[in-house]
Amino acid sequence: MKRKISMVILNAALLFFSITTTLPFIWMLCSSFKTNVEINSQAQNFFPQQLMLQNYTNVLTKFDFLQYFINSLIYALLITVITIYTSTLSGFVLSKYRFKGRQLLFTGILLTMMVPGVVTIIPRYSTMQLLGWIDTYKALIVPSSFTAFGIFMMRQACFSIPDEMLEAARIDGANEFYIFHRIIFPQLQNSIVSIAIFQFLWAWDDYLWPYLMIRTGEKSLLSVALNLFNGRYSTDYAGLFAATSIAILPVVVFYIVFQKRFIEGVSSSSLKG
Amino acid sequence: MAHRSNEKNALGSRSEIILRNIMVISLIAFFTVFFVIPIIMALVGSFFQWNPLKLQFNFLGIENWKGVFTSELFWRSMGNTIVFAVAATVFRVILGLALSHALYSRLIRHKTLYRTFYYLPTITPMIAVAFVWKFIFDPQLGLLNKILNSDINWLFDDRYALIAILILTIWKDFGYAVVILLGGMYSLPKDCYEAAEIDGAGAWQRFWRLTLPLLKPTILFIVITSLISYFQTYIPVMVLTQGGPGTQTYLATYLIYDEAFVKYNFGYASALSFVLFLFIAVLTGISFKVSGKNNAS
Amino acid sequence: MKKIFSLVLAFTLMLSLAACSGAPASQPSSSAPATQESSSAPATQESSSAPAPSQELPSIGNVIQYNPNQPVNDGKDISIELWYWTGAANLFQSLADKYAAIHPNVTIKLVENPWEDYWTKLPLALQGKDGPAIFNVHNSQHDNLIGYMAPYDIPVADMEKEFVGATGHIIDGKIYYTDYGLMTATAYYNTKMWEAAGLTDKDIPKTWDQFREIAKKLTIRKDGKLVQAGFSYNGGIQGDVLGMNYQYGQNLFAADNKVSLNNEAMKNVIQRLKDMYAVDGVCEYNFGNNSGDNFGQGTVAMFLGWGFMTNVLKQNFPDTTFDCFEIPTPAESVPYAYHRYNGESTFGVNKNAPAEQQAIAQDIIRFFLANDAIQKEFCLANAVFPAKGTLKADADLLKVPSIAVLADHIDRYIWPGPMPSTVENNVKIMLEDIFYNKADITKALTNAETTINKDLANLKFTSQEPMYKYASEAKK
Repeated sequence: MKRKISMVILNAALLFFSITTTLPFIWMLCSSFKTNVEINSQAQNFFPQQLMLQNYTNVLTKFDFLQYFINSLIYALLITVITIYTSTLSGFVLSKYRFKGRQLLFTGILLTMMVPGVVTIIPRYSTMQLLGWIDTYKALIVPSSFTAFGIFMMRQACFSIPDEMLEAARIDGANEFYIFHRIIFPQLQNSIVSIAIFQFLWAWDDYLWPYLMIRTGEKSLLSVALNLFNGRYSTDYAGLFAATSIAILPVVVFYIVFQKRFIEGVSSSSLKG
Repeated sequence: MAHRSNEKNALGSRSEIILRNIMVISLIAFFTVFFVIPIIMALVGSFFQWNPLKLQFNFLGIENWKGVFTSELFWRSMGNTIVFAVAATVFRVILGLALSHALYSRLIRHKTLYRTFYYLPTITPMIAVAFVWKFIFDPQLGLLNKILNSDINWLFDDRYALIAILILTIWKDFGYAVVILLGGMYSLPKDCYEAAEIDGAGAWQRFWRLTLPLLKPTILFIVITSLISYFQTYIPVMVLTQGGPGTQTYLATYLIYDEAFVKYNFGYASALSFVLFLFIAVLTGISFKVSGKNNAS
Repeated sequence: MKKIFSLVLAFTLMLSLAACSGAPASQPSSSAPATQESSSAPATQESSSAPAPSQELPSIGNVIQYNPNQPVNDGKDISIELWYWTGAANLFQSLADKYAAIHPNVTIKLVENPWEDYWTKLPLALQGKDGPAIFNVHNSQHDNLIGYMAPYDIPVADMEKEFVGATGHIIDGKIYYTDYGLMTATAYYNTKMWEAAGLTDKDIPKTWDQFREIAKKLTIRKDGKLVQAGFSYNGGIQGDVLGMNYQYGQNLFAADNKVSLNNEAMKNVIQRLKDMYAVDGVCEYNFGNNSGDNFGQGTVAMFLGWGFMTNVLKQNFPDTTFDCFEIPTPAESVPYAYHRYNGESTFGVNKNAPAEQQAIAQDIIRFFLANDAIQKEFCLANAVFPAKGTLKADADLLKVPSIAVLADHIDRYIWPGPMPSTVENNVKIMLEDIFYNKADITKALTNAETTINKDLANLKFTSQEPMYKYASEAKK
């Protein structure tokens, strides 16, 4: 009997939180099919009176949504690939090679994780101005090509690779690049997936720096472009919700399909911490 | 783990030296250019009246710093930020523990489905959900008041505005904690639990005496990353309240962003950001000290 | 690893398929956020065949004249950028098209930026060598822009003769931009609710006391709960508060160009607003957070709004029927000023742009100012009162409610000058403190004054209040 009661309570609680997390999304999806008049009206109906598919067609044609989507996708993919590479290489060198100042370098890198973004953003902004990199993707990608978090994680992961494996390969005559690409890299799949997920989501979400750097409309990233619905005098909620629904969709689909890997990757990342 | 016995391997291959040098140089170059130099620039800039839109760069001495420490707005934002960051972190951890424990328990079916739902807000961009929530908080038209049957003016009532921002933040991030803690629980040694059960320990005791201590490193990871992240919150403020009503919901990073990219007082903003930097450094230091003590025990 | 690669492949495939089917998205004619090309060459070859090339086009304009037969840039092809902020993209397209019809060798590239972005990106762009030659201006950003502007090469005297308010824009004997339309705060009322309360045109209030009575009549409560507010100012009334002081003869700025808020006039204005809620009960602070939106949604009977609200309401809330009346005053007699006006500004010319581009920019501006039809189009789009004298009595413009109310007393509206955004921003915060955080009025006014003056110390703001026609009537 006790078991049944506690089971009911537990299920209720879990259900409650499920509703809390999904309700706003369902509401947004419903609202994306309403007209602005309907969204703003006193009589708040949860479901749209009529399916306004026009919101979506507007977003795709007038808002140039596809362009922003592709921009964000390219940006996120590039960041992910680059940081995986640099993090793994750095992690490898910092864990498996012994050299003077190794600990100092690593500690220094670690310390940068504490620096709030606001401290460096202003000088970086000025630097980009001087270099003439404003309004280029260089300005977005280069400052993010190394990530302390990734380096930290990969170094941890590399420690678990037995040295004997490396020595054996060296005795067999392999050079370091071969060792890295053929031995280290494949061993670190889990950590790589973790970093990939973190970096991709971070890049997809990134707002402030892309907002400051990119000027030309067609180069804008999706996260920044969503703010365009916020006009000088009023916000176009219908368009915004439609655009957001589409913007979220791929990430959600990706997440649902690769859920298991996703979550394994996320949860394993903290254990090494 | 076996280590090489010599510091410098006489047989150190050329490729090792090349790879090592490339990486070390890249790392030093990158972190110098993108961290060390900007930090120095920010420090220097904080002594100037610096407006890049007007190409203005006049020496001010310590005027900016005086301004920071005598600014009521600054102290209020720091206060708000600390309260907010701590509250958000505490709730995130508690919710995370509670829900992950519930999911881990053998009584529950549909674990994966629940996990999917909880993590959903985390993967969506903050700027998108912030606008949705802005509407949800509307006193007449929003979902929240309709469900609670209240007419609280969430975003304009000085008692509730910061709470509204907290609600959004917790809603968005608790799923992350659930996922991580759940992963942690799965990797806990089962035999301890079986032994404890045999010894007659109740569910609550098992949780408090076994699960919690074993999860300490994971919990610490969540706490530290949460604190660092929440100290830099600003998108919710920007979308929901713009620091209002009045200046009640100003958070540190929002203040800095406002000074830097709305008013273009780069010098003053740099001074502000340095003080924030110090706060975070101290906070991180304390966390590590605390965790060090725990590890020792 | 493989899974990720296959996923990326799948995604790219999906996207390329979608991209093919979503062809319209990539067409250059798509408006809104993407940059636009107003390339006129192919289009006008058809339209310019209508008037034969040898036929003289009539000269345009009144005092400021424009000769469309004069070739620009010696007829050589040239391309310039025009920057503007989001909203009314068609307006600028129309201007570009009309200009290109006369000068097919000029390509005007329209670049749009959202309002907030605009004020960051524009000054930065103007610093470099490839910034826009011509750009939209708003006088609240005067300080960040004036350093990059080149003066108009139209005689100042002509500008003063033809455009109201041009005099206030003279800096060191030159004009860098002026206003094409004037906007101010008017009272908007819901005509259906007005009728339902048994009111007629005779009841239009002239004084604040009359206004308060009307607002009470328009307030409806059901079972003690407010369902219709007679008058709401929720969501930011700083733009209106800054101006109501003039009704008491009180200027906003002192002789030293510092802002003056802690005075009797302001206290009266704010206390009256507070009383309307607390004493008259015409609305509540928790009842809606945006008086304009709430008006459109049908929960508010009256609100104070600036001219632009006319078009916002028409667009977002087409079912709400409304009209405007002039802002009430403390007494029946004519006040020092009814309120302040702000201008929708004309374009700025980039002094860092190459000389040939600047020449085109100057020419476009002359065309813009001389052309009555274009002036009218811009005024209608923004629901602003025309600064150009020849349009003062235009029937179509006077049909717009917010414009009509200004027609009679336009010279009794004062322009304080290009008021920097810090003034409005800090007054907004101050009012939120007073209304929502129950702050003490005097303390809040003093705080706001101090904060604003600190910011003003870094700006070169000069109040234009002394240039007001009735400046001598101000309180000393």
